[in-house]
This record gives sequence, structure tokens and C-alpha cells, in this order.
Amino acid sequence: MREFEYTRPNDLDEALGLLGSLRERAKIIAGGTDLVPLMRENLVTPSHVIDISNLRDLDFIKEEKGLIRIGAATRMRTIEQSPIVKAKIPMLAETAQLVGEIGVRNIATIGGNLVNASPAADSAPPLLSLDASVKIRKLKTDRTIKLQEFFVHVKKTVLQPDELMTEVQIPIPPPKSGGAFIRLAKRGGNIISIVSVAAFLALKGNACSLARIAMGSVAPTPIRIPDAERVLEGAEPTEERIRTAAEKALGNIKPISDVRASAEYRKETSKILVRRALEEALERARSGS
Amino acid sequence: MKPVQIDFTLNGKPVKVLARPNQTLLDLLHNDLRLTGTKKGCDRGDCGACTVQINGRAVNACLVLAPQVAGQKVTTIEGIGSYEKLHPVQQAFMDLDAIQCGYCIPGMIMCAKALLEENPNPTTEEIRTYISGNLCRCTGYLHQIEAVRQAAARMKNSNPGSQDSCKSLALIGSTAKELYMLGLTSS
Amino acid sequence: MKTFNSIGKRTPRLFSEGLVTGKEQFSADISLPHMLHGRILRSPHPHAKIINIDTSEAEKAGAICITYKDIPLVKFNPRLVSTPETTYKDWTVLSGEPVYCGEPIAAVAAETEEKAQKCLELIKVDYEMLGAVFDASLAIDPKSSAVHQKILLDKKELTVENNIACKLEFSEGDVEKGYKEADVVIERRYKTNKRYHTQLETKSAVCKPEPNGGVTVWSTTQTIHNSRILIHQVFGIPMHKINIKKVALGGSFGSSIHTNISTLIAVALALKAGSPVKISLTREEDMRDHSSFQMIFRIKAGAKKDGAFTAGELEMLMDIGAHQIQAYALLGTVFGWWASFYRWRNLRYVGRAVYTNKVPSCAMRGYGNPQTSWVVETFMDELAESLGMDPLDLKLKNYIGLGETFFGQGPTVKSVIRSCGVEEMLKKGAEMIGWKNRHAPSTDKGFLKRGIGLSRGFHTSSAGAPISSAIVDFSGATVKINQDGTVDVVTALMDNGGGTMQALAKIVAEELGVPLQNVGIVQADAQTTIYDVCTHASRGIYAGGGAALKAARQAKEKLLQYAAKILDVNPDALKISPDEALGQGVIYVDALPGRQITVGEVAEHARNKNWGTIAATESYRPTMGPPHFTAFFVEVEVDTETGIVRPLRVVAGADVGTVVNPDLAAGQIYGGFAMGWGMTMFEDMPYDKETGDLMSWGMLTDYKLPTAYDAPPVEDFKVFFTDTYEPTGPWGAKGLGEGSYNPVTGAIANAVYNATGVRFYELPMTPEKIQAALNPRKTPEVVVAEAA
Repeated sequence: MREFEYTRPNDLDEALGLLGSLRERAKIIAGGTDLVPLMRENLVTPSHVIDISNLRDLDFIKEEKGLIRIGAATRMRTIEQSPIVKAKIPMLAETAQLVGEIGVRNIATIGGNLVNASPAADSAPPLLSLDASVKIRKLKTDRTIKLQEFFVHVKKTVLQPDELMTEVQIPIPPPKSGGAFIRLAKRGGNIISIVSVAAFLALKGNACSLARIAMGSVAPTPIRIPDAERVLEGAEPTEERIRTAAEKALGNIKPISDVRASAEYRKETSKILVRRALEEALERARSGS
Repeated sequence: MKPVQIDFTLNGKPVKVLARPNQTLLDLLHNDLRLTGTKKGCDRGDCGACTVQINGRAVNACLVLAPQVAGQKVTTIEGIGSYEKLHPVQQAFMDLDAIQCGYCIPGMIMCAKALLEENPNPTTEEIRTYISGNLCRCTGYLHQIEAVRQAAARMKNSNPGSQDSCKSLALIGSTAKELYMLGLTSS
Repeated sequence: MKTFNSIGKRTPRLFSEGLVTGKEQFSADISLPHMLHGRILRSPHPHAKIINIDTSEAEKAGAICITYKDIPLVKFNPRLVSTPETTYKDWTVLSGEPVYCGEPIAAVAAETEEKAQKCLELIKVDYEMLGAVFDASLAIDPKSSAVHQKILLDKKELTVENNIACKLEFSEGDVEKGYKEADVVIERRYKTNKRYHTQLETKSAVCKPEPNGGVTVWSTTQTIHNSRILIHQVFGIPMHKINIKKVALGGSFGSSIHTNISTLIAVALALKAGSPVKISLTREEDMRDHSSFQMIFRIKAGAKKDGAFTAGELEMLMDIGAHQIQAYALLGTVFGWWASFYRWRNLRYVGRAVYTNKVPSCAMRGYGNPQTSWVVETFMDELAESLGMDPLDLKLKNYIGLGETFFGQGPTVKSVIRSCGVEEMLKKGAEMIGWKNRHAPSTDKGFLKRGIGLSRGFHTSSAGAPISSAIVDFSGATVKINQDGTVDVVTALMDNGGGTMQALAKIVAEELGVPLQNVGIVQADAQTTIYDVCTHASRGIYAGGGAALKAARQAKEKLLQYAAKILDVNPDALKISPDEALGQGVIYVDALPGRQITVGEVAEHARNKNWGTIAATESYRPTMGPPHFTAFFVEVEVDTETGIVRPLRVVAGADVGTVVNPDLAAGQIYGGFAMGWGMTMFEDMPYDKETGDLMSWGMLTDYKLPTAYDAPPVEDFKVFFTDTYEPTGPWGAKGLGEGSYNPVTGAIANAVYNATGVRFYELPMTPEKIQAALNPRKTPEVVVAEAA
């Protein structure tokens, strides 16, 4: 590992100040689960490391004004066990458990997972399907953008060198809604997903008032699946419509072949997983409060 | 590059170390502090051999930069149990033959300890999921899951000699001439 | 019927306090004063010639450097289990013409690992790229580039043709005649994966140069004596100045039967530096250091309507990677495994080992038997189907069992089977899994389908034989009795994790009649122990324990002679039994209650009277390598939409003769199943032909092992042992280390067939392959471009 200067700012403003002056020369470390292996191999060589892992300002889960707000440095394990998350957006709690082994989840953060921007980032599809936004700050200003607009390409986001993601905001789902996250991998446990799907449905009467589907590992970034969503929006989610939605999903994905799976397999299983995720989301929406 | 002063609590004792920041907690433990019980298996968070507790939570030491532990409480395998009496998890692993080559064991024990401190009554499913990040190439995990169950039972009863769950590894007969079956029943 | 004192009894895992407290030191944990850290420079190319290598910058920065120019240009084979006449040599410590991506070409040592890495990066190398080949079937084509031109066999130079490293053929009888007599003849082809041992401890070594010009070494090894001999062969240091210390080994599965190159590099660096040097491979380096053998099979057999075989044929092509470690011996053992499964009656075997520019292959648990068992047992499933027979009955009709000849580890290692629990195990296991209620293939409706499969397996317990063969196999031990009645057992035998030391303690305690806790295994080294070839071939208990038993018997004889003198009794009338209350072995005479003395008292008396030490040192060559047998019945559930498979139930039977450590034996079976699951379902080492490197980049992120999450529920994994006794084994025991793993893949494959009706002839059977086979893809629509 190359040498660097290490700083642990006492509060968010100090962190932003440092980031503002150091810009590309610095890297933010929270959980370090993506960053530390890269630094060990000198694939990433910052001259400064700014440690935000202990900033209280960024570690919170709150319910406020119709939003669930999660600080960017909140651990996956905290999200997994949070009573608020389990009650209001259980899909995210379930996903948080899949993000890695316990020794990783106890330090990995939701902000880190999103900012790392792997196309396989497991927390992204559920958040996209919940229509999440992210708040981004620099020293003097801040902006809040939809998570969809946050991802640009593989490992690239809209974050500027002097910017820090500070929180994720999720609109509290309406009653009679449900979400499900399913991912495919050769085995369970700590593994990078081959394909992942998050489906979120809200019902009004018999029809879907909201239908959002998002996927990971099928494009350069995690993506929404509008072609599938259109089949269900405003319509009754019948078995046939769900199957059609799953078929239509293929039109929005561009999977590649890599060491984990071929593009063909990803296409075939995308259909299956979208269908299953929708079925589960529907069941939860029907039984949900 | 400035070395950093890292003040933290290590195995219950306050420690002040002046060390290079550009190393992981795992390397700090091994090289600077000569605590070699925590093992390096992959150095990237894929195997769990380096599991330690930070503020009681199970963490892969290879993913933590050394200076990040400043102000935290770190517990390693060297800090649990004592010369006179092993920690119940350590004892259970020995009693249930849940050890073969032993390399994954410190990490496995620390993970199990963290689990039982959070959840003293885990189901088998919860145990399996919790330790699923600790790779073992030798044992196939079944004895290890049993050892964690046994440790949980003992820690509840505070009766270290309890052989109750041990008997569930039912051996009928103990000589070569008798057929025996290892059928594990839930207790 | 013998009742044992400690054998067969459940005891807490002996000698494991160090492991559960983290105090036990493995090679990479060792630290010496003034120790330097070594790092290895590895070829980034699959085949290249080094035109120029410049270490001046690295040396200026303060590192000790070595390149291929600084090491003795001795060609060797790092594995010394075969006799010299059958040892092929194509390695040097560092290479001037690397033949695989990752091959060591230079190394540095510096005060810290960080500094060593920095200096390593200052080494400048100019390469001339040469042709590379990655597929064994292509490599044998005369047009393919050559991995090696000339190699040595013992001291003779050989020219390598068509990348064939070595070959072996064997026939018995007339197979063509046999096929003519058959009612059914079937032929199939299979291809296995290339696996990585993924032993948790990466290869490491610490070498300390001694003032007398010798070295002391702590390293990841299964054989301290062979490492010693090899260091002598390569560096020319007289053997009495080389010491290899026993140190805990973090799993091996065959990856340290040979001396790891990292050990030799550490020696070279230490000799140049004049200071101790430690090298510890990263996981990424370790995955480029060793792998298992990929095999391509063609198998054929003829059978009569009643199920009796008339002929059998096996052709095997194996990809050995870029260097030979165990290739020649393996050609023989694959023959041995295949020939020992069933009575083929007439046999023909052709085996060829082929070089490719990939990570060199070495033995991996089972040494060809997992691959061969998968092929034979799935082939048997098909044979049974075409004969209209239950596979279980076909096996029972044809298996090689009690009283028959067993080829074991190759054509030169033959034994007669003296204990065999195959029939008992198959019948009992069938009952426990519900074999009779098995449905026809692919019967379940819905997308989740279940199936049950069976595979038999076995392995030798050592490579013993009545005559000397091409394989060296003997052990040795010293047993000595201390003045307090405790016992030291000194042996070079290594414990790879299977509880071998514990078994040895039990065997000695049983023979000497002392309480188990009085027996200690000395943390010995090569200078203070007599030769043991290696802990491999499931020989730890059988051969290593056999040696300890032999030495214990000698020591006991002396002990009883002394006791007889003291008690004034005929020595033949004396017995020894452990007395738990006294904490001692007590020597007594049945009819005379007053005449008794403890073991400790005898030893103390012998000291005070200057009679001498009560001890014995013995070598032991097993005269056979009796097979231990296993059978796995596995039930799986296949998600036919995604191809994901889960294990539901397992019933495993094992014939290990006397079960010395029951829980550890069960542990071997659980571990074997987990390893087998990985072999069957997802382990592989695919290569990127553009870069010549592993697609996984050596990371566990993309070489997955089964986790606790993937194990079947504990209540649904039943293990049982058959009622057998091996007359040639210590206390009737045989081994289990490999038989516990060999049949797993075949059982899973047969279960998947029973579930889905589809057979797979390639490993791994990934969810992707299963899904594709069950959901044939429609051909892509041809898109006609619209005219502009």
C-alpha cells in the first residue's frame, strides 16, 4: 500500500472542507470494504485518506416528513436490523443482509455501496424501485437528485471531486404496497450477483398505482426497467401481465458475458427473476398494511 | 508520510501505537503488535479468517485501515478466555471436534462469539447464515454449527460441563465391532 | 471382542488448545530477529524468454535481489515421492524462460513487506514473447507451440514431443474379444474442471541461514524430510546442516506434497542476504502457484444381459499445466482407480499427460480418484439404464471386494483386499435414503425437481505394497517413556488437519496401556526424526500410525522386561492398563494382586539404576495399501428455471475398519461433501486466452467455495460406519481422508440426472449449464436490415 496522509475529521463541515481543498488527491473511507483491497494492490493511490466512518452526522436512520432518511455512513448491518426499515421498507433490510458476510456488513455502508457504483451493487435495485434520492453536499452547497441520475457508468457517478454523498432519502411507501429483491448467484452467501431484480408494487383497488422494477448486473449501471413497468402501471397485475412484463424486461437490459456468467444466461434468468420478484412483491402488497 | 498515533483498547487494555497508517488492522496486529492469532486468508474480505470484534461486532480486519480503530474497542482471539478456562465457544469447538487444520478457527470463533453476544438463542438457520462468511475447506461446517449451538446452550446454563447437546451426536457403542450412526437431532 | 481404552471413543480434539487460542504458529506467523520479507516477481506472460533483467535500481534502494542467474541451474522435480527412475524434472527455482503466467522469475528481500514490494517494482525486465497453448487437446497437435523442449528423466535428457510430458499404457486380456461377447457396449466422453485447492493458509516459508553454512526452515509442507532432500539436491548443502521444522499446516489437500517453490526461493534469498527471510504468498499468488489436474476421458465397456462385464477401456488425457509435479505417477493411479472399481475382465488403458502454459498441476485430495469416480459412477448409471438394471445391483454384482486384487495407486502397487464393507454399506445406505422409492428420472411436476443419486468410492490407505515399486512409502517413529510415566512420540509425520497426531496418540496409548492424556506428540524436525515420506494418500493413520505402533510395541517390550525384573515376574505374564484415578498406566499380573507397578515407577527405577531409557525407534513399510470404502447417497433439488441446485439429504457410509476418531471421521465426510459440492457445481479456473492469465485474477471473489450456508441441514446428513476390521492396520484401522471426497461428484451428478433426466459430461455443472440444458435456447431471430 502506498503512503498517504490520514485524517479523521470531527464533523461533516471539516470533512467537506478537506475534500474541497484536496479534491482528486483524496479518497473518502467509510467501511473501506471496496477501497481497502484496491489500495492494498495500489490500484487506487490517494495521497490523502479522509475517514468518515465515525461521523455521527452521517450515521442515522430517521423517519421525517414522509421520507425515510438514511445517512450515507450507516452500516449495512444497522439497516438490516433497523426497526424503521424492517417495518416500512422491509425489502431494503432483506437486501442489506445479502450485501456481504457479517464481517463486511458490520462496516460496509450504504453510501459506499452506491458511490462505488458497481453495476452489481446490491443496494441499488431496491433503492431505485423505491424511487430513492440521494443528497450530495459540498462545502457551501448541496443538491438532491434521483438515484437514477446518480449512476453514469461502470464505477462512475455524477459526484464531483469535492462532493460527498451524505444521505439517501426514500419516500415512505403507501399502504397496500410491497417490494421484493431477488438475486441470482452460483451459491448463497458472500458473492457478486449474476443478476438481481427489485420489484415494487402499490395497489389501488385491483390495479397497480405504482409499478417499479430495477435490476443490477445487466447493464453498465443498475437500471430501472420502464418497458416492464409500463405493462403493469394502472393495470391489474394478472399472472399473464406479470409474465409479459418479465418478457418486456429483456428489451431494457444489455448484459455482458464475464467470468461469472454469459450474457445468454443473464437474459434467460432475468425473465425468471423479474417474474418471481413481481409475484413476491404482489403477495406482499396484497397482505401488507 | 507521518506515522499516526493510534490509541485504542485492545483485548480490554488501553494501547498506544505509533504506526504507519498505510496498512490494514490485520497487518498492524500481526507485524506491529505480534498478535498472530488473527489469520490472513485472502486479504480482501472473501474468507473471514481475519475476523475480529470491533466494539463487539464481527469485522474482517483486512478491510479496516489501522488508524480507523482509534478510540474503538478491538478484541482478538488472544483476548478471549484465559489460561485456566477457555471461552465457551473455544471449549465447544474442541469438544465437538469442530477443528481440523485450525486455520479458519480463530476467525470462526470470533464470529460465533459476536453472534452469541448479539443473539444468545440463535436458530440453526441463523447460525449458518451468520458464519457463512467464514470459509472452511476442511470440516464441511456441520460440526462447527453444532459447536456454536452447544456454546449457546452452555452460555445460557453457565454450566460449562454440560454434555446435553453433546449427546445428540449419538454414538451407539464405541468399539469397532458395533455399527454406529451419527444422526444429529435438533436440541 | 476387543474393547478399546481410547480408540473409537469420543475425545475432545487433542492438541488443539493452540488452535482455539490462536497461539499455534503457522509458517507465516513466525518471526525471527533481523528477519527480512521476501516478495516474488512473477511473469506476466504465459510464455516468454527474458532478454534482459535489471535489478540495479532495486538493489540501490536497499533490497537483496535474486534472478534466475543467481540460483543453481539444477533441474528438479519438487516432489520426491517417486523413485528417481520415474522422476521427470523440468523446474528451476527461478525461470529465465517462464512458461506460465505467474511463474517466479526474480525475488527481493527487504526489511518490510512494503519496502520489498516497492523494490520489486523497480526491477526492469525485457521479454521476448513466445507462443502459448491453453487447451490440452490442442496442445498435442504438432502445430502447437512447445511448452518445453528438453526435460530430464532422472539424469537423462529427453526431448518433449507434441507437449506430451509422459505417458503410460497397460493392458490385460483382450478387450476386442470382450466387446464381441457383450450384449451391450457403451462409450462416453467426459471432461473435468481445473480446480484450486483453496487451502486456507497460503504457501509460506521462513528460512534462517545458520553460521555453519546450513539453513533452518519453517514452511508449509506435508513432508519435512523430502523438503530437506530437495534443498540438498538444489543448493548442495549437506543434509546434516539442513533442518526443516514441523509447523502447523493450514490445510493442504495435496498442495504441499511437493516442496513449494516459495520455500526454495526463501532459501535462496536467505543464503544471499545472510539473514532470515520470510515469504508468504498472497491469495492471488497462491492461486497461480498450484492447481489440480484437468482430465479428459474416453470410457468404454461391454456387459452381458445379466450385468457381468466383459471388457473395459479407459483413455485419459490430462492437462498438467506448465510443469511436472506428479504427472507420471498420476497416470498410473488413474489406471489403478479405474481398474479397482469393478471387474472389467479385460482391460485396456492409455494415459497421456500434456503440458499447457497454465498454473502447474499437483495432486489434489484423491489424486485422480474424484475425477475417475465421477466418470465411472455416472457411466455405471448409464450402463445400468441400458441393461434395465438398478445401478445398485449392477454395482453389487461387479465390485472388486474381499479377497480380490486391488490396484490402488497404480500398476505397481497391488494388494489383496482383506476387509471390505461395500455390501453392508450399500444395502444400509439404500435403506436409509429410501432408494427403493426412487422415482424415474424427471418425474416431479413443477419447476422444482428432486432426485437421488448414488456413487461408490474408495481410496488406498497409503501406497504400501509387498514389493518396492515406483513410489516411496515408509514411515518412522520414536516412542520414549519418561520418568513420570508420560510418553513422547517423535515422528516426522505431518498433520494436515485430519487429526493424524491425535490418532497416533491414541494408537500409542492403546498399545502402552497408558491414559491418553499422558501421550504427547513432539514438535519435531528433520534432524531429530527418522524418515517419513509424506502425509498423503490417506496414509496418516495406516502407515504413520503403523510406525508409531511398531515403535510402541518395541518400547513396551523393554518396559515389561524392566518391570519383570523389578517385580520378579515372568514378563509374558504382565499386562498394562490405564488407571484414570492414578493418572498412570499400571503394570500388573492377573493372578497376583500385590505385584504391580506404574509405568512411571519403572522408568524412574531404570533411571536411578542406570539401566537406560525405555525407548524404541522403528521404520515401517506397509505391505499393502488397503482400500477404505465409502458410498454417498445424495438427494438434491433442482430449480429448473435458474439451474440452481441445493442438497437436501445425504447418507454416507464408510468402511474405515476400526474407527479411531469417530467425530473426526464424520468431520472428514462432511468436509469431503462440501469440497465435492464445490467441485461439482462451481469450481473452475478458466483462462483468458488473450492475456494468458486466470480470468479470476487469483481472487476468491471469483473462485467460490461452499459456505456454511450451502451445507445440507445437519439433521439430514447421516454418517455411518460399517462393521469391519482391517487385519493389517493399527488396531484394525484404515484411512479416510480421500475416500470421504472421491465419490461425492458422481453422487451429485447422478442425483441431478434422477431429478432432471439430463446428464452432464463436463464439470463444473454450473447453474448456467443446467439451465441451458433444461431450457434449450431458441435460435436467435435473423434480423433483416431495412433498406435505408
